Amino acid sequence: MTTHSTAAADEPVVYIIDDDGSVRAAIEDLLASVGLRALSFASTQAFLANTIEDIPACVVLDVRMPGQSGMDFHRQMIELGMGMPVVFITGHGDIAMGVEAMKNGAIEFLTKPFRDQSLLDAIHHGLEKDRERRKGAALVAALQARWESLSPGEQDVMRLVAQGLLNKQIAAQLELSEITVKVRRGHVMRKMQAGSLAELVRISEKLGM
Amino acid sequence: MPSSRKRISVRHPRPLNIALIVAALAAIFVADTGTNYEVAAAVFYSVVIVTAARVLSRRELIVLCVVCIGMTVLSVLITPHGDLRAGLINTGISIAAILMTTYLIMKMEAARMAAHDAQAQLMRLSRVTSLEGLTTSIAHEVNQPLAAIVTSGNACQRWLAQTPPNLGKARQALERILSDAGRASSIIARVRSLTRGEPPDKSAFAFNEAVRDVLALSQAEIARNNIILTTTLDPDLADAVADRVQIQQVIGNLILNAIEAMIEVSAPSRTMRISSAASGSTIVFSVFDSGVGFAPEVHQHLFEAFWTTKEEGIGVGLSISRAIIESNGGQLWAESNAGGGAVFRFSVPSISQEKHP
Repeated sequence: MTTHSTAAADEPVVYIIDDDGSVRAAIEDLLASVGLRALSFASTQAFLANTIEDIPACVVLDVRMPGQSGMDFHRQMIELGMGMPVVFITGHGDIAMGVEAMKNGAIEFLTKPFRDQSLLDAIHHGLEKDRERRKGAALVAALQARWESLSPGEQDVMRLVAQGLLNKQIAAQLELSEITVKVRRGHVMRKMQAGSLAELVRISEKLGM
Repeated sequence: MPSSRKRISVRHPRPLNIALIVAALAAIFVADTGTNYEVAAAVFYSVVIVTAARVLSRRELIVLCVVCIGMTVLSVLITPHGDLRAGLINTGISIAAILMTTYLIMKMEAARMAAHDAQAQLMRLSRVTSLEGLTTSIAHEVNQPLAAIVTSGNACQRWLAQTPPNLGKARQALERILSDAGRASSIIARVRSLTRGEPPDKSAFAFNEAVRDVLALSQAEIARNNIILTTTLDPDLADAVADRVQIQQVIGNLILNAIEAMIEVSAPSRTMRISSAASGSTIVFSVFDSGVGFAPEVHQHLFEAFWTTKEEGIGVGLSISRAIIESNGGQLWAESNAGGGAVFRFSVPSISQEKHP
């Protein structure tokens, strides 16, 4: 449970949550042998107590643990908005459990003892997925920041432009002069870094407007 | 209820049953027809219905009821003598008795069958779950070290495949493999020891020394779980007289239990206290934990074999521990810790017992 503050910003991490010390140590070592950084935890509570680093990550989660089970924790992760991909490992394979795990969006459901390559493939797939997820999230965050840089008047204009209204209609609705609308519209296009009306519409869609 | 019919017909040959019913009906019919209107012999049809209920299905019972009523009416029509008015009243009473009997016996049979089915299901269920639970638990316990062995073996191969091979890491992986293999075989030994009890090999030994040995082994596990450990071992203890290895097994088991009980509480409040003290002619050893404790209704099951609150445990630890302590002449018991959590204590005889009996 050590944190490497020196780790490179984009170096991914694999969180291992398993109540069995031997299994934790073995997986940690397997990942180290292929150059993957891993942090392991004996329970989901210990994992939650740890500060989650802002880097691509993947969770290797044991199904059967004292206290909260892996399946319950996966549901809780989704509720908490923790989007990290999850690879399940379980002591005894249960088809129903596997199906439920996959339905909840797990990357893989492996039965112990598992093939090392299966675990590594699943982890690499998970990390790739998390990188994409983070990219998407970062883009939305950047757009959000641009949106917040608009003045309230400019935000009003952008909303109506995105709805496809003409300057004249916008001016009538906001009780402004057409000149003012034109000026604000120019500001919106510049601040939102939109090259065209179509692009602005796409941006507003990404912002969920 | 086809299933009930099938089950019963195995015990009672059907033709014989039918013959008995027909004979009884005929006898009552003759008695009813041969006597005056004032004699309500038809009431006895209800006795036939009650007796036949066990061997007939619902539908057959209704048919029997209708036949009985028909025969009652027929009797009235062909009975030659007596007061007709009394005859009609008696017939009404008889028919009412037959109907009520049929209705009540059908309800009773249905309830009896439901109870029987529920009981059978319950028995089957409890047998299946206890066996399944036991085998899954053992499989899971053995599977954990096996999974660790396989993964460590894979890691070891990868360390060796590097150029140059990382021999230090490979050796560490091998050491883990050996220790996990030892753990797997000790699980098997533990399961086997359930079926054969070995007599303790008693001798005098320094009790605190034995405790420290176990603590040294569990130190890593205690530290890894961020548990604060305090020990208050009485330095003036007389030597204990028991099987040192067995007592150490129990100490180790109680410490592990305490660690597991505290996994669910947050790290800063995980404290374990271990104490030894003289109590008369015995030594009392205690493990206090600040874990989740146990509910009063759990207390009575604590030492039962195969009873556990741990999802993956097989529930034999405490029952074996108690058996070991008792075969060494001591006692093992549990209390609630005043500050939350639980206390497990056991006593073992000490040398002072021999000096002052």
